[in-house]
Amino acid sequence: MSEHAASAPVTAAAPRTRGALARWWDRKGLVNCLRIGALTIFFGAWEGASRAGWLDPLFASSPSLIVEKLASMIADGSIWPHVLASANIAGLGFGLSVLVGVPMGLAMGRSLTLRSTLEPFTVALNASPQVAFLPLLIIWLGIGVASKVALVFLGSFIIMVINTETGVEQVDRRLIETARAFMANERQIMLKVILPSALPYIIAGMRLGVGRALVMVVVAEIYAATKGLGYLIFQAGGLYDTAQVFVGVVILAGAGVILNTFLRWLEKRLAPWQHVQAE
Amino acid sequence: MIEVRGISHGYMTADGTSVFQALSDVSLSIESGTFVSFLGPSGCGKTTLLRIINGLIKPTAGEIRIGGIRVDGPASDRAMVFQEFNLLPWRTARGNVEFPLEVQGIARGERDEVVTRVLGQVGLERFGDFYPHQLSGGMKQRVGLARALGVGPAYLLMDEPFGALDPQIREMMQLELMKLWDNDRKTVVFVTHSVDEAVFLSDRVVMFGTSPGRIVADLAIDLPRPRWTDDEAIKTSAKFIQYRNDIWRLLKHQLNAMPAR
Repeated sequence: MSEHAASAPVTAAAPRTRGALARWWDRKGLVNCLRIGALTIFFGAWEGASRAGWLDPLFASSPSLIVEKLASMIADGSIWPHVLASANIAGLGFGLSVLVGVPMGLAMGRSLTLRSTLEPFTVALNASPQVAFLPLLIIWLGIGVASKVALVFLGSFIIMVINTETGVEQVDRRLIETARAFMANERQIMLKVILPSALPYIIAGMRLGVGRALVMVVVAEIYAATKGLGYLIFQAGGLYDTAQVFVGVVILAGAGVILNTFLRWLEKRLAPWQHVQAE
Repeated sequence: MIEVRGISHGYMTADGTSVFQALSDVSLSIESGTFVSFLGPSGCGKTTLLRIINGLIKPTAGEIRIGGIRVDGPASDRAMVFQEFNLLPWRTARGNVEFPLEVQGIARGERDEVVTRVLGQVGLERFGDFYPHQLSGGMKQRVGLARALGVGPAYLLMDEPFGALDPQIREMMQLELMKLWDNDRKTVVFVTHSVDEAVFLSDRVVMFGTSPGRIVADLAIDLPRPRWTDDEAIKTSAKFIQYRNDIWRLLKHQLNAMPAR
């Protein structure tokens, strides 16, 4: 057992040649300062240009006007119905796309017959602009929640299928053979080997899918809606209320960033041995 | 007792036009409680035969009988140790050892007990909560060995288990395997490329040749046991050197007969 002592994978503390602050700076501080600096310059220039009259606030708004608008919409509660309506559609559509897309991707990754049969459909659906289906979806499902959920589903579902399928194809054949040698049946191989192995790809797919879902929500709400962030943005646009347009954009961007960060965190937690880049 | 009866096996080549004959009409019997090595150059079918014995591969012709019963797939009386360890990266050492027990539907309490016991046997009692990527190669293969032992197999099938390890670690692992083996003397089928390893570990060395894969020699190794207590004395004994030279001569003959590459 002499090998243990030498190779014990104890995470040794970094040599204490520099202070904790200096190490934090190297790791995070410098990057964060650059980011904060860039954001400050950007928003400062925008605000300044607007106040100096170089930018017409009617067209370009300004950070202070946007914040003001957002604060007043939160204060009088008028923002919430829009946020909830959009969250509802995005959540339902995206949730369904995961529930349907992941099992379908697993099945297609596992069965060559199924993959060959369905590939023309997935390739075509992926290549086509799914937004174009909206008129059809409205004819089929009406102008209520269903057609909007369907559009969101269509947008993110195909990404879930393709990413899951790729994840399944990337599974180390030797691990499947090993499971089989230890008498695992097909179901156990699927649940205990393939699914955990494909998980980083599935989460990467979710990160892409969330972005697509948010786009689809906005598009669906432009068309036929009486509330929702998409509705809010386009109604405000028609009224030249640029501050309100930006309020909608900021909320959508914030939601995208938060969901993405959460999924990245989840990915690192669930699959610390592997980190897949979303493409 | 493992009986290999007239096993032939062919693989379709990558372009699908011809069949590569990995094994041609191979027969042998392996007595229970013996340590047998399969030795030979790459492509001689020794690993294929090990997988056929395990039940992972169905041979084109012939059959395997274990204790008189025909092999028709993997079973819990046989356990494999793989060259590349093949550990599940998302499971800890414990989780990996637990995997076959879980799959076979053994209750949690009993699983925990078995896992603790076999991790102790391979000297990893303190490393149960480590993930494979946190372990060295030698430690990973200890986990692989513990996983196989946990099943409680009568037959241990080892596919070049130390082939991916550093030479020093490899020799240490050989000693530990001998020590473990002396406790219960399971039947072991051990595939290796190394002449020294085969001679040092085995009661019997079966040599394979290529094109097609077949047995070219079958030698009993009559060295004293236990071998781990004074391995240096064994490895420098006249008998060991004689075995090694004899086998090396046969192997060289095989290698020379292979088509130039």
